[in-house]
Amino acid sequence: MSPQLLMLSCLCLPLVGGGMLLLAHRRPRLRELILVLTAALSFTSALALLLQFREGNLLRLDLLTLLPGLDLMFEIEPLGALFAVLASGLWLPTSLYAIGYLRARKEEHQTRFHFWFCVAISATMGIAMAGNLLTLFVFYEVLTLSTYPLVTHIGNRGAVRGGRVYLGVLLATSIGLLLPAMLWTLHVAGTLQFTAGGILEGKLAPALAGLLLLMFVLGVGKAAVMPMHRWLPAAMVAPTPVSALLHAVAVVKAGVFTITKVVVYIFGTGFLGTVPAQRYLVYLAGFTVIAASVVALRQDNIKRLLAYSTISQLSYIVMATLALAPLALTGAGLHMVAHAFGKITLFFAAGAIYVAAHRTQVSELDGMGRRMPWTMAAFAIGALTMIGVPPSAGFVSKWFIIAGAYQADLYFVLAVIVLSTALNAFYMLPILHRAFFRAPEGRAHGEAPWPMRVALVSTAAASVLMFFFHAPILALTRSLTGAAP
Amino acid sequence: MKSHLILSIVAKFLIPLVLLFAFYVQFHGDFGPGGGFQAGVIFAAAVILHLLVFGHAATEHFIPTAVLKIGAALGVLIYAGVGVASLLAGGRYLDYDVLADNAVAGQHLGILLVEAGVGITVAAVMILLAYSFQQRGHDA
Amino acid sequence: MREHLPILLVVLPMLAAPICSMLPRGRQAWLLATAVSWAVLAIAASLLIRVHAEGTISYALGGWPAPIGIEYRLDGLNALVQVLVAAIAACVLPFSGRSVQDEIDADRQPGFFALLLLLITGLLGIVATGDVFNVFVFLEISSLATYGLIAFGRDRRALLAAYRYLVLGSIGATLYLIGIGLLYALTGTLNMQDLAARLPAVADTRTAQTAITLVMVGLGIKMALFPLHLWLPNAYRFAPSAISAFLPATATKVAIYLMLRFVFDIFGVGFAFGRLELNEVLLALAAAAMLSASLAAMQQRDVKGILAYSSVAQVGYIVLGAALATPIGLTASLLHLFNHALMKGALFMAMGCVMLRVGRTDLDAIRGLGRRMPWTAAAFVVAGLSLIGVPLTAGFISKWYLVLAALEAGWWPLVILILVASLMALIYVWRVVALAYFAPNESQRREEAPLSMLVPLWLLVLANIWFGIDTRLSVAMAESGMRVLMAGPP
Repeated sequence: MSPQLLMLSCLCLPLVGGGMLLLAHRRPRLRELILVLTAALSFTSALALLLQFREGNLLRLDLLTLLPGLDLMFEIEPLGALFAVLASGLWLPTSLYAIGYLRARKEEHQTRFHFWFCVAISATMGIAMAGNLLTLFVFYEVLTLSTYPLVTHIGNRGAVRGGRVYLGVLLATSIGLLLPAMLWTLHVAGTLQFTAGGILEGKLAPALAGLLLLMFVLGVGKAAVMPMHRWLPAAMVAPTPVSALLHAVAVVKAGVFTITKVVVYIFGTGFLGTVPAQRYLVYLAGFTVIAASVVALRQDNIKRLLAYSTISQLSYIVMATLALAPLALTGAGLHMVAHAFGKITLFFAAGAIYVAAHRTQVSELDGMGRRMPWTMAAFAIGALTMIGVPPSAGFVSKWFIIAGAYQADLYFVLAVIVLSTALNAFYMLPILHRAFFRAPEGRAHGEAPWPMRVALVSTAAASVLMFFFHAPILALTRSLTGAAP
Repeated sequence: MKSHLILSIVAKFLIPLVLLFAFYVQFHGDFGPGGGFQAGVIFAAAVILHLLVFGHAATEHFIPTAVLKIGAALGVLIYAGVGVASLLAGGRYLDYDVLADNAVAGQHLGILLVEAGVGITVAAVMILLAYSFQQRGHDA
Repeated sequence: MREHLPILLVVLPMLAAPICSMLPRGRQAWLLATAVSWAVLAIAASLLIRVHAEGTISYALGGWPAPIGIEYRLDGLNALVQVLVAAIAACVLPFSGRSVQDEIDADRQPGFFALLLLLITGLLGIVATGDVFNVFVFLEISSLATYGLIAFGRDRRALLAAYRYLVLGSIGATLYLIGIGLLYALTGTLNMQDLAARLPAVADTRTAQTAITLVMVGLGIKMALFPLHLWLPNAYRFAPSAISAFLPATATKVAIYLMLRFVFDIFGVGFAFGRLELNEVLLALAAAAMLSASLAAMQQRDVKGILAYSSVAQVGYIVLGAALATPIGLTASLLHLFNHALMKGALFMAMGCVMLRVGRTDLDAIRGLGRRMPWTAAAFVVAGLSLIGVPLTAGFISKWYLVLAALEAGWWPLVILILVASLMALIYVWRVVALAYFAPNESQRREEAPLSMLVPLWLLVLANIWFGIDTRLSVAMAESGMRVLMAGPP
């Protein structure tokens, strides 16, 4: 298959699958078969795309020209290829998980749910492959809008309120800050193309560049850098599969991915090094890491705890990116993957507990390790990844970020990482203690349905495997820094 | 109103005169002051006087609403039709020169027809307005 | 016959109107009006093509050459506006068949279509003519027809709305008439081109300045420029569905065209904007319109009310671009004039479908619309996205140009203003969409509108998408209109 066709199929397969789902509305089994097949095919084509990319093919697809100089176009670069494979790869277990979850919960409107899920994945693919800022922005907004029906899926008052915060924060930041930042960039640089080494160098005074960077970092609400983080806890009203894939992987990673792209391909790390204000953004991200962890300490609801943990982990990536050291950038790329594996496992486990035991609070987890051994073992691996203990993926990425902090002499970053690791341990380990070392309470129950178990075990396994076999991912993220000297 | 003998006799005497004057204004329009607008209003004034003195039923008897509605539309049609006729005859829109054998006769004919159209529409609309005021509250 | 097309365009609906009123049944009148509207569209399109191929067309009425006689003068700008009016008419008329049957008494339907044809005549006439007094005549024809058409509304408040518009509209027309009267007294001509040539000699007099002010205020009322927009919301809200779909897309647009013509072609930018500094007034009013009308739209309880206030805000966008008086600004203005007609037409048509099936258009009627009328609701969503200015829709293109124009002129605050207003548009559109799709409702019965309404509706919706993706045609047209205006008075 030609690379261009492959890119198009990455983008359109989920949509086509979604359309077929709608047609199979009245036949649940067929519908679910289509869903899993679509996810598998999407993963395959993303993987094929990655292989093509590693062979050194030029992967570029001009879709539409809206106005001269303003077009929708896609171009694969290392980080994007990684993101595409990550999102579509995790979609496969998530679709299994979602089928099990929705059936066990006897949710209404399942077809609608799966359909919007497909649209959201397609939008994520668009973000991953975007070749310029406009394309990225378009799919960024599509992702926001397509996840709204998922967040409010339950349809009660709480869901609608959560959905309003979700949409309000994300749209207000993107239209209020990201769009003006994009317009400003276009006005100054005359292009929005992602270019190795950046497009702004020499065209903007450092002080103004600092302001522009601030607009970008805060404007990408999906990266949840404080004070733009409120939407993420609000989004936890969504059914757990949504929280797992979208609000631990696709949506939030789209945010940090956007920031990384802007730093590397719009500003260029070389130019950004001369911008004084960039330091303050590192501090802001560091503050978010610590503050979100402190808030997480005080949460009793599992999903909210995980949400605050996500906010903190996302700012790791933002902080590492803004540190501008090659090793830290590599670490940022690795952490995107490592956190994805870990956090999706945690959410899967939380959903499984909810389905099997109807429990949502940390304080209700006593003895859960004996009732649901598979689930809680996976949860433990996820928790270790969050803390960054070997043998989990989190260790690898933190290692690189720390090395990068040394490289750039950023002892602030170092301190933040040490402190937050301690905090992570403080809120994750008590959960494990409760689950494994306390006696169970209440009526007996078993594990969640098998599709859910398959999903959470596979992601937990992936998270351990990444500790041992991270060479291909490392090679990809390394080439990212190679592209930006 | 029927009891007002003087009014009805004076009206019977005046109405034909007013109508005659309306026609004078209408047809004299191309030579002196006058034209379709004024003539239409004067014509309508005569009918309205009849309406006021003899009542709606009597007036509607010889000028029915349906006729008036057609008249209102017909006048516009005559006006626009003359324009189109001049197009068909090879001239510009409302170019009367081409309507007859020579330009002067054409101008005469054209303005006469156009003014007739205007007069019919204006008179019909004025009378219709008067009717609908008269009818207010009767059929609601 | 080809050379007479400019006049036939105006005369055809004028001839059809009285015939319509004489037809006994509403259905026949509807068929005739629809056929006429399509013929008019064909003529308007052929004229636009001819203008682009051969340049300006001038047609002297009655064989009296300009500047003595009345001249119809078509250039790249007004040929485009004519096509816009004709296209919207050609979409609205097929659409109106069912909704008029439902909303208007059978014996009054022929009159309705006759008035609608007269309205079309008036609008096309205003655009075509090159004579300022003839403009007034057509302005009155269209306005009188509009008053009547609004009063056809089923809601009893329609009468009051029509009366209010009648009062304000008459004031506007009177101010305009006094204005051109003064100009005539000064220059002795009513022909636009002639007027433009003679005006500079007397421009310094107070009379000329008064005349310009009067004309501008009169047109300001007609185009509903803030704060002269008070007649508009209720008029659009209570008018019959077909009329609320037709008016916002055409009537205000024609008035805006007229303002552009006066400012750029007759008064001249140097005089109107340079000496009198009208552009600053217009900028301030446009900004106020965008903010205040969007705010008002956010507080409406009726979808037609939301859309009506949104129209007032969009007039602000269009005037904003024109007030910048740069090539990009004018292009943006004309693009938005065109694109806004497409989106507002579609949005109001969708509400027409709701009116037919539900009988009202308040927010409660929208509840669960996504399930009951999926095609209508989807059309509303797409057109709404266009109204917000989401990429891949027509609305994005014109707003993009507007932002570029503001950036080019160095007006940062305007960029922020446009974004804030777009954000507000997002909020008021979203309120409707959220209710249509995400609000629980009792009735799950499907009751989609008939095809005769859905097809025209979706034509406009697809046009919104088409002109958001393939912008070559619309931008080229807007630019040719812009060049006419930037060339200034002859």
